[in-house]
Amino acid sequence: MRTPPSTTVALETRSLGIASSTSLDRISLQAVDWSVDTGELWVVAGAQGAGKTALLETLAGLIPAAAGEVRVFGRRVDASGDDAPGLQETRRRLGLVFDGGGRLFSALSVAENILLPWCYHQNRSHAEALGELEPLIRHLQLESILSRKPTSLSRSWSRRVALARSLVLEPDLLLLDNPLAGLDAVHLRWWRGFLAEALAGHPVLGGEPLTIVATADAVRPYVGLDPRFALVASGHWRILTDIEAVLAATGEEGFRDLTEPRP
Amino acid sequence: MEATPPPLKNTGSKEDSDGGLGWLEALLGEWRSLTRLGAFILITLATAARRHRDNSEVMRPQVLGEIHRCGVRLLPIISFLGVILGVVFVGQTVSLMEQFGAGNFTGTFIVTVFLREMVPMIAGLLVLARVGTASVVELGTARALGEVEALEALGIDPIHYLVVPRVIGFAVAVVSLSAYLILISLGSGYLFAYARGLKASPIEFFTQIAGAMSALDFPLWVLKTLLFGALTGWVICYQGLARAMTLEEVGPATTRTVAVCVVGCLMIDALFITVYLLL
Repeated sequence: MRTPPSTTVALETRSLGIASSTSLDRISLQAVDWSVDTGELWVVAGAQGAGKTALLETLAGLIPAAAGEVRVFGRRVDASGDDAPGLQETRRRLGLVFDGGGRLFSALSVAENILLPWCYHQNRSHAEALGELEPLIRHLQLESILSRKPTSLSRSWSRRVALARSLVLEPDLLLLDNPLAGLDAVHLRWWRGFLAEALAGHPVLGGEPLTIVATADAVRPYVGLDPRFALVASGHWRILTDIEAVLAATGEEGFRDLTEPRP
Repeated sequence: MEATPPPLKNTGSKEDSDGGLGWLEALLGEWRSLTRLGAFILITLATAARRHRDNSEVMRPQVLGEIHRCGVRLLPIISFLGVILGVVFVGQTVSLMEQFGAGNFTGTFIVTVFLREMVPMIAGLLVLARVGTASVVELGTARALGEVEALEALGIDPIHYLVVPRVIGFAVAVVSLSAYLILISLGSGYLFAYARGLKASPIEFFTQIAGAMSALDFPLWVLKTLLFGALTGWVICYQGLARAMTLEEVGPATTRTVAVCVVGCLMIDALFITVYLLL
Protein backbone atom coordinates (compact mmCIF):
# COMPACT_ATOMS: atom_id res chain seq x y z
CA MET A 1 0.00 0.00 0.00
CA ARG A 2 1.36 3.41 -0.96
CA THR A 3 2.41 5.78 1.81
CA PRO A 4 0.05 8.78 1.81
CA PRO A 5 1.80 12.02 0.85
CA SER A 6 2.86 13.87 3.97
CA THR A 7 2.30 17.33 2.54
CA THR A 8 -0.31 18.91 0.30
CA VAL A 9 2.34 20.24 -2.06
CA ALA A 10 3.58 17.40 -4.22
CA LEU A 11 5.91 19.36 -6.45
CA GLU A 12 7.36 22.82 -6.21
CA THR A 13 9.83 24.67 -8.40
CA ARG A 14 11.46 28.03 -7.77
CA SER A 15 13.09 30.04 -10.57
CA LEU A 16 13.83 26.75 -12.24
CA GLY A 17 15.92 26.86 -15.40
CA ILE A 18 15.69 23.82 -17.66
CA ALA A 19 18.70 22.71 -19.68
CA SER A 20 18.12 21.09 -23.04
CA SER A 21 18.07 17.26 -23.04
CA THR A 22 20.48 17.18 -25.96
CA SER A 23 22.88 19.90 -24.78
CA LEU A 24 23.16 20.80 -21.11
CA ASP A 25 24.78 24.12 -22.04
CA ARG A 26 21.59 25.36 -23.71
CA ILE A 27 18.65 26.65 -21.66
CA SER A 28 15.35 25.49 -23.12
CA LEU A 29 13.05 26.95 -20.46
CA GLN A 30 13.57 29.48 -17.72
CA ALA A 31 11.95 30.97 -14.62
CA VAL A 32 9.62 28.07 -13.91
CA ASP A 33 7.82 28.95 -10.67
CA TRP A 34 5.26 26.30 -10.07
CA SER A 35 3.43 24.47 -7.32
CA VAL A 36 1.52 21.21 -7.81
CA ASP A 37 -0.79 20.08 -5.03
CA THR A 38 -1.41 16.41 -4.30
CA GLY A 39 -4.23 14.89 -6.32
CA GLU A 40 -4.02 17.44 -9.11
CA LEU A 41 -3.72 16.80 -12.83
CA TRP A 42 -1.52 19.29 -14.63
CA VAL A 43 -1.11 19.45 -18.39
CA VAL A 44 2.06 21.16 -19.58
CA ALA A 45 1.38 22.02 -23.19
CA GLY A 46 3.78 23.23 -25.83
CA ALA A 47 5.01 22.54 -29.33
CA GLN A 48 7.60 19.86 -30.03
CA GLY A 49 11.05 21.04 -28.96
CA ALA A 50 9.66 23.57 -26.44
CA GLY A 51 11.41 21.80 -23.57
CA LYS A 52 8.60 19.68 -22.10
CA THR A 53 10.60 16.45 -22.00
CA ALA A 54 13.61 18.24 -20.51
CA LEU A 55 11.29 19.71 -17.87
CA LEU A 56 10.08 16.24 -16.83
CA GLU A 57 13.63 14.84 -16.88
CA THR A 58 14.75 17.70 -14.64
CA LEU A 59 11.87 17.11 -12.25
CA ALA A 60 12.81 13.42 -12.13
CA GLY A 61 16.44 14.32 -11.38
CA LEU A 62 17.77 12.82 -14.63
CA ILE A 63 19.33 16.05 -15.87
CA PRO A 64 20.62 18.78 -13.58
CA ALA A 65 18.66 22.01 -13.26
CA ALA A 66 20.32 24.94 -15.02
CA ALA A 67 19.09 27.25 -12.26
CA GLY A 68 16.71 27.32 -9.31
CA GLU A 69 15.44 24.33 -7.38
CA VAL A 70 12.94 21.46 -7.48
CA ARG A 71 11.21 20.08 -4.42
CA VAL A 72 9.24 16.84 -4.45
CA PHE A 73 7.11 16.36 -1.33
CA GLY A 74 9.14 19.08 0.34
CA ARG A 75 12.54 17.61 -0.43
CA ARG A 76 15.03 18.93 -2.97
CA VAL A 77 15.67 16.39 -5.70
CA ASP A 78 18.10 18.51 -7.70
CA ALA A 79 20.78 18.32 -4.99
CA SER A 80 24.13 17.22 -6.31
CA GLY A 81 25.33 13.77 -5.33
CA ASP A 82 23.08 10.74 -5.36
CA ASP A 83 24.17 9.75 -1.88
CA ALA A 84 22.30 12.54 -0.13
CA PRO A 85 20.23 10.76 2.53
CA GLY A 86 16.70 10.03 1.41
CA LEU A 87 17.22 11.54 -2.03
CA GLN A 88 16.82 8.24 -3.86
CA GLU A 89 13.86 7.44 -1.65
CA THR A 90 12.16 10.71 -2.61
CA ARG A 91 12.93 10.15 -6.27
CA ARG A 92 11.30 6.75 -6.00
CA ARG A 93 8.03 8.38 -5.02
CA LEU A 94 8.06 9.87 -8.47
CA GLY A 95 7.27 7.81 -11.59
CA LEU A 96 8.28 8.92 -15.07
CA VAL A 97 6.78 7.47 -18.26
CA PHE A 98 8.78 8.52 -21.29
CA ASP A 99 7.22 9.58 -24.56
CA GLY A 100 6.76 7.40 -27.64
CA GLY A 101 7.23 3.75 -26.76
CA GLY A 102 8.23 4.56 -23.16
CA ARG A 103 11.87 3.45 -23.59
CA LEU A 104 11.26 -0.16 -22.63
CA PHE A 105 14.29 -2.38 -22.13
CA SER A 106 14.52 -4.09 -25.49
CA ALA A 107 16.55 -7.05 -24.21
CA LEU A 108 13.80 -8.01 -21.73
CA SER A 109 10.30 -9.36 -22.22
CA VAL A 110 7.23 -7.32 -21.35
CA ALA A 111 6.88 -9.20 -18.04
CA GLU A 112 10.55 -8.64 -17.16
CA ASN A 113 10.22 -4.96 -18.03
CA ILE A 114 7.26 -4.54 -15.70
CA LEU A 115 8.61 -6.61 -12.82
CA LEU A 116 12.27 -5.52 -12.87
CA PRO A 117 11.96 -2.32 -10.76
CA TRP A 118 9.76 -4.07 -8.18
CA CYS A 119 12.07 -7.10 -7.90
CA TYR A 120 15.13 -4.83 -7.72
CA HIS A 121 13.84 -2.59 -4.95
CA GLN A 122 11.93 -5.23 -2.99
CA ASN A 123 14.65 -7.86 -3.50
CA ARG A 124 12.07 -10.47 -4.40
CA SER A 125 11.96 -13.10 -7.13
CA HIS A 126 10.24 -12.84 -10.50
CA ALA A 127 7.63 -15.43 -9.45
CA GLU A 128 6.80 -13.53 -6.25
CA ALA A 129 6.52 -10.29 -8.20
CA LEU A 130 4.20 -11.87 -10.74
CA GLY A 131 1.87 -13.03 -7.96
CA GLU A 132 1.97 -9.69 -6.17
CA LEU A 133 1.50 -7.50 -9.23
CA GLU A 134 -1.00 -9.66 -11.09
CA PRO A 135 -3.98 -7.36 -10.24
CA LEU A 136 -2.17 -4.33 -11.65
CA ILE A 137 -1.13 -6.20 -14.80
CA ARG A 138 -4.70 -7.40 -15.31
CA HIS A 139 -6.08 -3.92 -14.66
CA LEU A 140 -3.83 -2.54 -17.38
CA GLN A 141 -4.93 -5.42 -19.68
CA LEU A 142 -1.36 -6.58 -20.25
CA GLU A 143 -1.68 -10.25 -19.28
CA SER A 144 -1.85 -11.49 -22.88
CA ILE A 145 1.40 -9.81 -23.98
CA LEU A 146 3.64 -10.60 -21.00
CA SER A 147 5.87 -13.01 -22.89
CA ARG A 148 6.38 -10.74 -25.88
CA LYS A 149 9.42 -8.59 -26.58
CA PRO A 150 8.91 -4.81 -26.64
CA THR A 151 10.02 -4.62 -30.28
CA SER A 152 6.98 -6.68 -31.30
CA LEU A 153 4.54 -4.23 -29.68
CA SER A 154 2.84 -1.22 -31.16
CA ARG A 155 3.78 2.13 -29.69
CA SER A 156 0.44 2.38 -27.85
CA TRP A 157 0.95 -0.95 -26.08
CA SER A 158 4.61 -0.16 -25.35
CA ARG A 159 3.51 3.04 -23.66
CA ARG A 160 1.02 1.16 -21.54
CA VAL A 161 3.73 -1.33 -20.52
CA ALA A 162 5.95 1.62 -19.60
CA LEU A 163 3.11 2.95 -17.47
CA ALA A 164 2.82 -0.42 -15.71
CA ARG A 165 6.61 -0.48 -15.16
CA SER A 166 6.36 2.90 -13.50
CA LEU A 167 3.27 2.05 -11.42
CA VAL A 168 4.76 -1.08 -9.81
CA LEU A 169 6.82 1.19 -7.56
CA GLU A 170 3.58 2.84 -6.39
CA PRO A 171 4.65 6.42 -7.07
CA ASP A 172 2.79 9.32 -5.47
CA LEU A 173 3.61 11.64 -8.33
CA LEU A 174 3.37 10.45 -11.92
CA LEU A 175 5.12 12.32 -14.73
CA LEU A 176 3.78 11.37 -18.17
CA ASP A 177 5.53 12.60 -21.29
CA ASN A 178 2.92 13.19 -23.97
CA PRO A 179 0.88 10.09 -23.02
CA LEU A 180 -2.08 10.74 -25.31
CA ALA A 181 -0.10 11.51 -28.48
CA GLY A 182 -0.65 9.25 -31.47
CA LEU A 183 -3.20 6.93 -29.87
CA ASP A 184 -6.11 5.37 -31.69
CA ALA A 185 -9.63 5.83 -30.31
CA VAL A 186 -9.54 2.65 -28.19
CA HIS A 187 -6.23 3.45 -26.49
CA LEU A 188 -7.18 7.11 -26.09
CA ARG A 189 -10.40 6.10 -24.30
CA TRP A 190 -8.46 3.70 -22.08
CA TRP A 191 -5.88 6.33 -21.13
CA ARG A 192 -8.54 8.93 -20.34
CA GLY A 193 -10.27 6.34 -18.17
CA PHE A 194 -7.00 5.51 -16.44
CA LEU A 195 -6.25 9.18 -15.73
CA ALA A 196 -9.73 9.66 -14.26
CA GLU A 197 -9.47 6.64 -11.92
CA ALA A 198 -5.88 7.43 -10.94
CA LEU A 199 -6.96 10.92 -9.92
CA ALA A 200 -9.90 9.51 -7.99
CA GLY A 201 -7.78 6.84 -6.31
CA HIS A 202 -8.17 3.24 -7.45
CA PRO A 203 -7.53 0.22 -5.16
CA VAL A 204 -5.20 -1.36 -7.72
CA LEU A 205 -3.17 1.85 -7.81
CA GLY A 206 -2.80 1.99 -4.04
CA GLY A 207 -6.11 3.61 -3.16
CA GLU A 208 -4.80 7.15 -2.78
CA PRO A 209 -5.35 9.74 -5.52
CA LEU A 210 -2.27 10.13 -7.68
CA THR A 211 -0.78 13.48 -8.57
CA ILE A 212 -0.19 13.62 -12.31
CA VAL A 213 1.80 15.95 -14.52
CA ALA A 214 1.38 15.22 -18.23
CA THR A 215 2.97 17.03 -21.12
CA ALA A 216 1.03 17.51 -24.33
CA ASP A 217 1.40 18.97 -27.76
CA ALA A 218 -2.40 19.21 -28.07
CA VAL A 219 -4.77 20.01 -25.22
CA ARG A 220 -8.15 18.84 -26.53
CA PRO A 221 -7.77 15.18 -25.40
CA TYR A 222 -7.64 16.44 -21.81
CA VAL A 223 -10.92 18.33 -21.96
CA GLY A 224 -13.30 16.76 -19.44
CA LEU A 225 -10.53 15.64 -17.05
CA ASP A 226 -10.53 19.06 -15.41
CA PRO A 227 -6.78 19.61 -15.49
CA ARG A 228 -4.81 22.73 -14.73
CA PHE A 229 -2.66 24.02 -17.55
CA ALA A 230 0.79 25.41 -18.03
CA LEU A 231 2.05 26.46 -21.42
CA VAL A 232 5.63 26.54 -22.62
CA ALA A 233 6.75 28.43 -25.70
CA SER A 234 9.90 30.28 -26.77
CA GLY A 235 11.63 29.40 -23.52
CA HIS A 236 8.88 30.91 -21.35
CA TRP A 237 6.48 29.41 -18.85
CA ARG A 238 2.86 30.46 -18.28
CA ILE A 239 0.31 29.04 -15.91
CA LEU A 240 -3.28 29.24 -17.07
CA THR A 241 -6.31 28.62 -14.90
CA ASP A 242 -8.42 26.38 -17.14
CA ILE A 243 -9.14 25.23 -20.65
CA GLU A 244 -10.94 28.49 -21.46
CA ALA A 245 -7.75 30.43 -20.77
CA VAL A 246 -5.83 27.98 -22.92
CA LEU A 247 -8.26 28.38 -25.76
CA ALA A 248 -8.01 32.16 -25.41
CA ALA A 249 -4.21 31.87 -25.59
CA THR A 250 -4.24 29.85 -28.76
CA GLY A 251 -4.42 32.98 -30.85
CA GLU A 252 -0.92 33.81 -29.70
CA GLU A 253 2.24 32.83 -31.47
CA GLY A 254 3.58 29.52 -30.20
CA PHE A 255 0.29 28.28 -28.77
CA ARG A 256 -1.78 28.34 -31.96
CA ASP A 257 -1.43 24.66 -32.82
CA LEU A 258 -2.09 23.29 -29.34
CA THR A 259 -5.84 23.12 -29.90
CA GLU A 260 -5.69 21.85 -33.47
CA PRO A 261 -7.14 18.39 -34.00
CA ARG A 262 -4.60 15.62 -34.23
CA PRO A 263 -3.57 14.40 -37.66
CA MET B 1 18.97 25.07 -59.82
CA GLU B 2 21.39 22.54 -58.52
CA ALA B 3 22.93 23.46 -55.19
CA THR B 4 26.67 23.71 -55.01
CA PRO B 5 28.00 20.99 -52.73
CA PRO B 6 29.86 22.26 -49.66
CA PRO B 7 33.64 21.93 -49.84
CA LEU B 8 34.93 18.71 -48.38
CA LYS B 9 36.79 19.01 -45.14
CA ASN B 10 40.51 18.52 -45.58
CA THR B 11 41.18 16.17 -42.73
CA GLY B 12 44.88 16.14 -43.49
CA SER B 13 45.37 19.89 -43.10
CA LYS B 14 45.06 19.95 -39.33
CA GLU B 15 48.64 19.00 -38.68
CA ASP B 16 49.92 21.43 -41.29
CA SER B 17 48.00 24.36 -39.89
CA ASP B 18 48.95 23.92 -36.23
CA GLY B 19 52.63 23.59 -36.82
CA GLY B 20 52.83 19.82 -36.34
CA LEU B 21 51.25 19.75 -32.88
CA GLY B 22 48.41 17.46 -33.98
CA TRP B 23 50.18 14.45 -32.49
CA LEU B 24 50.34 16.22 -29.12
CA GLU B 25 46.62 16.92 -29.25
CA ALA B 26 45.96 13.28 -30.15
CA LEU B 27 48.19 12.15 -27.28
CA LEU B 28 46.36 14.39 -24.82
CA GLY B 29 43.05 13.06 -26.14
CA GLU B 30 44.21 9.49 -25.52
CA TRP B 31 45.41 10.43 -22.04
CA ARG B 32 42.02 12.00 -21.22
CA SER B 33 40.23 8.85 -22.46
CA LEU B 34 42.53 6.73 -20.30
CA THR B 35 41.83 8.80 -17.17
CA ARG B 36 38.08 8.63 -17.83
CA LEU B 37 38.32 4.85 -18.21
CA GLY B 38 40.30 4.75 -14.97
CA ALA B 39 37.62 6.77 -13.19
CA PHE B 40 34.95 4.44 -14.62
CA ILE B 41 36.86 1.40 -13.30
CA LEU B 42 37.13 2.96 -9.84
CA ILE B 43 33.40 3.81 -9.78
CA THR B 44 32.57 0.22 -10.77
CA LEU B 45 34.83 -1.20 -8.06
CA ALA B 46 33.33 1.13 -5.46
CA THR B 47 29.78 0.21 -6.51
CA ALA B 48 30.59 -3.51 -6.46
CA ALA B 49 32.16 -3.23 -3.00
CA ARG B 50 29.41 -1.04 -1.54
CA ARG B 51 26.46 -2.93 -2.97
CA HIS B 52 27.68 -6.52 -3.24
CA ARG B 53 24.81 -7.77 -1.07
CA ASP B 54 22.08 -5.49 -2.41
CA ASN B 55 19.21 -6.62 -4.62
CA SER B 56 20.49 -10.19 -4.72
CA GLU B 57 17.26 -11.61 -6.21
CA VAL B 58 17.87 -9.58 -9.35
CA MET B 59 21.64 -9.35 -9.34
CA ARG B 60 22.45 -13.04 -8.79
CA PRO B 61 20.62 -14.21 -11.95
CA GLN B 62 22.11 -11.24 -13.77
CA VAL B 63 25.68 -12.28 -12.83
CA LEU B 64 25.01 -15.97 -13.55
CA GLY B 65 23.48 -15.02 -16.88
CA GLU B 66 26.61 -13.11 -17.86
CA ILE B 67 28.85 -16.01 -16.79
CA HIS B 68 26.70 -18.34 -18.89
CA ARG B 69 26.78 -16.01 -21.87
CA CYS B 70 30.53 -15.32 -21.74
CA GLY B 71 31.68 -18.71 -20.54
CA VAL B 72 29.36 -21.71 -20.77
CA ARG B 73 28.06 -20.85 -24.23
CA LEU B 74 31.61 -20.65 -25.56
CA LEU B 75 32.58 -24.15 -24.38
CA PRO B 76 31.98 -25.83 -27.76
CA ILE B 77 34.15 -23.40 -29.72
CA ILE B 78 36.81 -23.41 -26.99
CA SER B 79 36.83 -27.23 -27.11
CA PHE B 80 37.31 -27.14 -30.87
CA LEU B 81 40.02 -24.51 -30.58
CA GLY B 82 41.68 -26.49 -27.78
CA VAL B 83 41.96 -29.62 -29.95
CA ILE B 84 43.34 -27.63 -32.87
CA LEU B 85 45.86 -25.78 -30.68
CA GLY B 86 46.82 -29.03 -28.99
CA VAL B 87 47.63 -30.70 -32.31
CA VAL B 88 49.13 -27.70 -34.08
CA PHE B 89 51.17 -26.25 -31.24
CA VAL B 90 51.59 -28.61 -28.28
CA GLY B 91 51.72 -31.89 -30.20
CA GLN B 92 54.13 -30.64 -32.86
CA THR B 93 56.34 -28.89 -30.32
CA VAL B 94 56.63 -32.02 -28.17
CA SER B 95 57.33 -34.23 -31.18
CA LEU B 96 59.95 -31.91 -32.64
CA MET B 97 61.72 -31.40 -29.32
CA GLU B 98 61.85 -35.15 -28.82
CA GLN B 99 63.29 -35.61 -32.32
CA PHE B 100 66.01 -33.00 -31.66
CA GLY B 101 66.85 -34.50 -28.27
CA ALA B 102 65.54 -31.51 -26.34
CA GLY B 103 62.72 -33.41 -24.63
CA ASN B 104 63.90 -32.23 -21.21
CA PHE B 105 62.98 -28.65 -22.12
CA THR B 106 59.48 -29.44 -23.33
CA GLY B 107 57.83 -28.59 -20.01
CA THR B 108 59.62 -25.25 -19.65
CA PHE B 109 58.80 -24.28 -23.22
CA ILE B 110 55.12 -25.18 -22.96
CA VAL B 111 54.68 -23.42 -19.60
CA THR B 112 56.50 -20.25 -20.67
CA VAL B 113 55.07 -19.81 -24.14
CA PHE B 114 51.79 -21.66 -24.16
CA LEU B 115 50.33 -21.61 -20.63
CA ARG B 116 51.51 -18.16 -19.56
CA GLU B 117 51.27 -16.22 -22.81
CA MET B 118 49.23 -17.84 -25.55
CA VAL B 119 46.28 -19.32 -23.69
CA PRO B 120 45.13 -16.24 -21.73
CA MET B 121 45.44 -14.07 -24.84
CA ILE B 122 43.56 -16.54 -27.07
CA ALA B 123 40.76 -17.02 -24.51
CA GLY B 124 40.51 -13.27 -23.94
CA LEU B 125 40.36 -12.48 -27.64
CA LEU B 126 37.78 -15.19 -28.26
CA VAL B 127 35.49 -13.87 -25.50
CA LEU B 128 35.97 -10.35 -26.84
CA ALA B 129 35.14 -11.40 -30.39
CA ARG B 130 32.19 -13.66 -29.60
CA VAL B 131 30.52 -11.82 -26.70
CA GLY B 132 32.29 -8.50 -26.20
CA THR B 133 31.43 -6.93 -29.52
CA ALA B 134 27.78 -7.98 -29.18
CA SER B 135 27.73 -6.48 -25.68
CA VAL B 136 28.99 -3.10 -26.92
CA VAL B 137 26.27 -3.04 -29.56
CA GLU B 138 23.67 -4.03 -26.95
CA LEU B 139 24.77 -1.41 -24.41
CA GLY B 140 25.37 1.30 -27.00
CA THR B 141 21.92 0.76 -28.50
CA ALA B 142 20.35 0.86 -25.03
CA ARG B 143 22.21 4.12 -24.36
CA ALA B 144 21.21 5.62 -27.70
CA LEU B 145 17.54 4.68 -27.22
CA GLY B 146 17.40 6.20 -23.72
CA GLU B 147 16.99 2.88 -21.89
CA VAL B 148 19.76 3.79 -19.45
CA GLU B 149 17.90 6.96 -18.44
CA ALA B 150 14.80 4.78 -18.01
CA LEU B 151 16.76 2.60 -15.56
CA GLU B 152 17.83 5.69 -13.62
CA ALA B 153 14.26 6.99 -13.57
CA LEU B 154 13.26 3.71 -11.91
CA GLY B 155 15.93 4.16 -9.25
CA ILE B 156 18.10 1.36 -10.68
CA ASP B 157 21.81 2.17 -10.71
CA PRO B 158 23.08 1.35 -14.25
CA ILE B 159 26.60 0.69 -12.93
CA HIS B 160 25.23 -1.81 -10.43
CA TYR B 161 22.72 -3.45 -12.78
CA LEU B 162 24.54 -3.37 -16.14
CA VAL B 163 28.28 -2.99 -15.53
CA VAL B 164 29.12 -5.02 -12.41
CA PRO B 165 27.57 -8.32 -13.71
CA ARG B 166 29.33 -7.93 -17.04
CA VAL B 167 32.75 -7.29 -15.50
CA ILE B 168 32.32 -10.31 -13.20
CA GLY B 169 31.01 -12.43 -16.09
CA PHE B 170 33.92 -11.58 -18.38
CA ALA B 171 36.53 -12.05 -15.63
CA VAL B 172 35.19 -15.44 -14.50
CA ALA B 173 34.71 -16.56 -18.12
CA VAL B 174 38.26 -15.75 -19.25
CA VAL B 175 39.81 -17.49 -16.20
CA SER B 176 37.61 -20.59 -16.58
CA LEU B 177 37.89 -20.83 -20.36
CA SER B 178 41.68 -20.42 -20.17
CA ALA B 179 41.93 -23.30 -17.69
CA TYR B 180 39.64 -25.43 -19.85
CA LEU B 181 41.62 -24.54 -22.98
CA ILE B 182 44.84 -25.68 -21.30
CA LEU B 183 43.34 -29.05 -20.32
CA ILE B 184 41.92 -29.74 -23.77
CA SER B 185 44.98 -28.61 -25.71
CA LEU B 186 47.48 -30.44 -23.49
CA GLY B 187 45.37 -33.60 -23.72
CA SER B 188 45.00 -33.48 -27.48
CA GLY B 189 48.63 -32.39 -27.86
CA TYR B 190 49.82 -35.39 -25.89
CA LEU B 191 47.68 -37.75 -27.99
CA PHE B 192 49.09 -36.26 -31.19
CA ALA B 193 52.67 -36.52 -29.92
CA TYR B 194 52.04 -40.08 -28.67
CA ALA B 195 50.74 -41.04 -32.10
CA ARG B 196 53.95 -39.57 -33.57
CA GLY B 197 56.11 -41.78 -31.38
CA LEU B 198 56.40 -40.03 -28.00
CA LYS B 199 57.61 -42.52 -25.39
CA ALA B 200 56.50 -40.70 -22.22
CA SER B 201 53.36 -41.86 -20.43
CA PRO B 202 50.60 -39.31 -19.73
CA ILE B 203 51.71 -39.11 -16.08
CA GLU B 204 55.32 -38.41 -17.10
CA PHE B 205 54.19 -35.83 -19.64
CA PHE B 206 51.97 -33.88 -17.22
CA THR B 207 54.51 -34.25 -14.38
CA GLN B 208 57.16 -32.68 -16.59
CA ILE B 209 54.90 -29.72 -17.33
CA ALA B 210 53.90 -29.34 -13.68
CA GLY B 211 57.54 -29.51 -12.70
CA ALA B 212 58.37 -26.60 -14.98
CA MET B 213 55.94 -24.36 -13.09
CA SER B 214 57.03 -22.25 -10.15
CA ALA B 215 55.02 -21.71 -6.96
CA LEU B 216 53.98 -18.25 -8.10
CA ASP B 217 52.86 -19.40 -11.51
CA PHE B 218 49.37 -20.34 -10.46
CA PRO B 219 48.37 -17.12 -8.60
CA LEU B 220 50.01 -14.93 -11.24
CA TRP B 221 48.29 -16.83 -14.03
CA VAL B 222 44.89 -16.49 -12.34
CA LEU B 223 45.49 -12.79 -11.72
CA LYS B 224 46.54 -12.21 -15.32
CA THR B 225 43.56 -13.98 -16.88
CA LEU B 226 41.27 -12.29 -14.35
CA LEU B 227 42.63 -8.89 -15.40
CA PHE B 228 42.25 -9.75 -19.11
CA GLY B 229 38.58 -10.56 -18.55
CA ALA B 230 37.81 -7.69 -16.20
CA LEU B 231 39.53 -5.16 -18.46
CA THR B 232 37.51 -6.45 -21.42
CA GLY B 233 34.32 -6.04 -19.40
CA TRP B 234 35.24 -2.53 -18.26
CA VAL B 235 36.21 -1.34 -21.74
CA ILE B 236 33.01 -2.78 -23.23
CA CYS B 237 30.79 -1.07 -20.65
CA TYR B 238 32.75 2.17 -20.82
CA GLN B 239 32.52 2.36 -24.60
CA GLY B 240 28.86 1.37 -24.62
CA LEU B 241 27.54 3.35 -21.67
CA ALA B 242 29.80 6.06 -20.35
CA ARG B 243 28.74 8.86 -22.69
CA ALA B 244 25.69 9.96 -24.62
CA MET B 245 25.53 8.11 -27.91
CA THR B 246 23.55 8.08 -31.13
CA LEU B 247 22.78 4.91 -33.04
CA GLU B 248 25.34 5.92 -35.71
CA GLU B 249 28.08 5.95 -33.08
CA VAL B 250 27.47 2.36 -31.93
CA GLY B 251 29.49 0.83 -34.83
CA PRO B 252 32.60 2.99 -34.31
CA ALA B 253 32.35 2.38 -30.53
CA THR B 254 32.46 -1.38 -31.21
CA THR B 255 35.61 -1.23 -33.33
CA ARG B 256 37.20 1.15 -30.80
CA THR B 257 36.43 -1.37 -28.05
CA VAL B 258 38.26 -4.15 -29.89
CA ALA B 259 41.33 -1.95 -30.42
CA VAL B 260 41.41 -0.72 -26.80
CA CYS B 261 40.94 -4.24 -25.41
CA VAL B 262 43.74 -5.71 -27.53
CA VAL B 263 46.13 -2.90 -26.60
CA GLY B 264 45.08 -3.11 -22.94
CA CYS B 265 45.62 -6.88 -22.77
CA LEU B 266 49.03 -6.54 -24.45
CA MET B 267 49.99 -3.92 -21.85
CA ILE B 268 48.91 -6.24 -19.02
CA ASP B 269 50.89 -9.01 -20.71
CA ALA B 270 54.00 -6.79 -20.85
CA LEU B 271 53.55 -5.97 -17.17
CA PHE B 272 53.41 -9.64 -16.26
CA ILE B 273 56.44 -10.49 -18.40
CA THR B 274 58.31 -7.88 -16.35
CA VAL B 275 57.08 -9.49 -13.14
CA TYR B 276 58.15 -12.97 -14.34
CA LEU B 277 61.58 -11.63 -15.28
CA LEU B 278 62.02 -10.02 -11.88
CA LEU B 279 61.01 -13.15 -9.96
